[in-house]
Amino acid sequence: MEAAVWVIILPLLTAFFLGISKLYFKRIFFYLVTGSAIIYLYILIIVITHSYPPKVYSIGDWGLLGINVMVDPFSGLFLLMIAILFLPFIIFSMKYNKFLKHDYFIFAYLMVAGISGMVLTTDLFNLYVFMEVSTLSSCALSLYKKTDRGIEGTFKYLIMSTLGSFFILLATILTYYLTGTLNMAEIPLAFEDIPFKIKSTMMTLFVFGYAIKIGLIPLHAWLPDAYEDSPIPYNVLSSGLVLKSAVYALIRVLYIMFGIDFLDESGMLTIGVFWGVITFLIAHCLAFQQSNLNRLLAYSSIAQIAYIMIGLFVGTEAGLIAGSFHILNHAIMKGTLFLVVGIFSYSLNAVEKKDIKGLGYKFPILSFTFVVASLAIVGLPPFNGFMSKWLIVEAALEAGFVYAAFFILVGTFLSLTYYLKVIVTLYTKNEEELLIEEPSLSLKLPTFFLGSLCIVFGMVPSLPLNLITKIPTFLLDNGDYIRILLGG
Amino acid sequence: MSRLNEVFKKLYKIGLVVTFAYFLLFLFYDIHNLDNNRKRYLSAHYISEGVQETGAINLVASVLYDYRAFDTLGEATMILTAATVLAFLVPISKATTFGTTFKSIVKQTVKLILPYLAVLGTYLILFGHVSPGGGFVGGVVLSIIAILLTITYSVEFSEYIVKPDQKKLVEDIGAIGFVLLGLLGVFTGSNFLANGQAYFGTGNAGEVFSAGLIPFINVMIGLKVGAGLAIIFNSLIKEK
Amino acid sequence: MEIAYVAVIILFCLGIYTIITKKNLIKIVFGVTIVESSLILLLMLVGYKPDGTAPILDKEYEIVVDPIPQALALTTVVIGGSVTAVMLVMVIKIHRRYRTLNIDEIRKLRG
Repeated sequence: MEAAVWVIILPLLTAFFLGISKLYFKRIFFYLVTGSAIIYLYILIIVITHSYPPKVYSIGDWGLLGINVMVDPFSGLFLLMIAILFLPFIIFSMKYNKFLKHDYFIFAYLMVAGISGMVLTTDLFNLYVFMEVSTLSSCALSLYKKTDRGIEGTFKYLIMSTLGSFFILLATILTYYLTGTLNMAEIPLAFEDIPFKIKSTMMTLFVFGYAIKIGLIPLHAWLPDAYEDSPIPYNVLSSGLVLKSAVYALIRVLYIMFGIDFLDESGMLTIGVFWGVITFLIAHCLAFQQSNLNRLLAYSSIAQIAYIMIGLFVGTEAGLIAGSFHILNHAIMKGTLFLVVGIFSYSLNAVEKKDIKGLGYKFPILSFTFVVASLAIVGLPPFNGFMSKWLIVEAALEAGFVYAAFFILVGTFLSLTYYLKVIVTLYTKNEEELLIEEPSLSLKLPTFFLGSLCIVFGMVPSLPLNLITKIPTFLLDNGDYIRILLGG
Repeated sequence: MSRLNEVFKKLYKIGLVVTFAYFLLFLFYDIHNLDNNRKRYLSAHYISEGVQETGAINLVASVLYDYRAFDTLGEATMILTAATVLAFLVPISKATTFGTTFKSIVKQTVKLILPYLAVLGTYLILFGHVSPGGGFVGGVVLSIIAILLTITYSVEFSEYIVKPDQKKLVEDIGAIGFVLLGLLGVFTGSNFLANGQAYFGTGNAGEVFSAGLIPFINVMIGLKVGAGLAIIFNSLIKEK
Repeated sequence: MEIAYVAVIILFCLGIYTIITKKNLIKIVFGVTIVESSLILLLMLVGYKPDGTAPILDKEYEIVVDPIPQALALTTVVIGGSVTAVMLVMVIKIHRRYRTLNIDEIRKLRG
């Protein structure tokens, strides 16, 4: 499985070469960025198609002495998300950023390298290192406009997420102290004879650290501020990949290291579902008050991630499938919404709700895409959001979390209200003459691509579900995962 | 009333932190009472076999550049990211001078020290696998040259001696070189970042030309860290 | 030996306290570095063995301390340094825009 390690190295190499190209060969910049993105897509497809059964690649050929990289269906899902989002992101930002492109793409490639490293690695400390790489480059992208609000929001973001990583690092060091190893397959074996009390406190540290990074309420305050004045294509990757990669790491740590039995015993599953319900109810209410579209979408992201948390913490096979499917769907839907807002802000500098009044008649197809994606994120049939939300409700009912299922329906109505408000504003007649810069094809094409995926995955959910249904095999019962990692 | 509110808020935060401290205290106490020294098979293996397997006498170097070299790639990327962020946030043209100027005695002393620093940094980098030291430490010592120049003379002079573009180039070459050295393992039919397994002879432990790729990786990391820290310091100084 | 663990806890909690109560941006960055150094101290303690020597095997030794936490500590130092540098440059930028470092005043100026 040589290709697995290339998933991490290629973006790193591209970023390093971009640094040299910025100084001496400005002309090859375009070919370097797009060519590398296309090759990257090819490598990702190879790795994703080989993700079942899981494969292990040992870096430095050290086996269990060193660091291993493993591709299993759950990480395959995240690589699929990178594959779907990254090329549209590159094409969109080529046009969207009018100047100073080099640094932007260096950070973008570093961020993708960090995320793919987080997703693939099986070493606890390596996970921390790559998490820091993705966080720091994500901060760099979020302050890219150098505006007051951007820098302030990013400062908050960096402080909060560093605080989160300190808790994660503390737990990682204590894990090493307790078990003498950092390999994710050996830790659960060594954890067996550790007392319950110590294990549950360790779990608390991990959960608290990752909850800051995910932005669960009441630890969410940095997220809308960081989104408010950042380049909008970055928001696509951030809500699609950066937040999700923290969810990935949390789920990986909890399910593999601690095991489902321990989670059930310690009550973590109940806490997770309850926390998710609280989070999305408050986030919907907060989103209702926002006038800035970026902030509105940020609060909506918090709420959607709470749905994902509910799905993943239900603790059954159906729940894991539903949660993973919603991870993919949310990345696509939120990507579409952010890209449409990005086009609005590119052509007439509109990021406030009142600015987009009447644009439904000026950009008929784009507005239709926006409507499709927002209906999908609310969870109306026949779009993809409906499918995954329905699966989450079903899984919650099946596992006995009736209140969660009920509140998801309430949350759907709450989210319908504020998305309808935006849509109504979009289609209100506006007499003013607006100075509009016509968006070019390279801005529209990625948007339509993601928008059409909303419909395709809603009509034919079996396409991604082929991959997703294999996820619980290696997550719900950590025995298989450990056996493959130890044996490979 | 608002004063009371403030006091209450402060007490609440203090209480939160103290509770957390108690929590940690009990956790550490429990962990400490657990008999867990038997489980360190990984470090026992590194200590007993590490010198034969990697050829490096300095076990920290063998862990850092061979067993867990992938971590080192990640942290090298971190420095590059930070240096790029700082260079990007601070405008290139602007530079401010210090309020104080130094007497000539300081300048002459710095001039005397600089060659020794260069030799010390190079020694630390090249002998990183046989003695205490290594790429990171040596890189820091090398970056002190640029930092001393900036402090005693000025940013303009420091950047006249070594241009920012050149530093950036050195940093990128260091990073690319690290990845390419790792890829050598792939080309010889082994895995990424392989050293002894890919038949780069580990040599006689204790000699300078031993331990396969580790000295070369040390050089790359040294270049990268030195250039990166110099960029970071100069950028911070330039910003008023 | 046990007293060192208490030092880790005190430093960690002191750093967290600094981050969540102080109004000055520079002091917040100080808090971050304090927490980071407490974790580095913890790493050193985890690898410590009584009477152990440094893991450089140029002579024969009875007891050698654990080399892995030392490598991890080096990584942590570098990561913490990079993050601190980025934080500091942002503090400088904020100070240049608002001419103050107090969070409350910045919030007021921003409106």
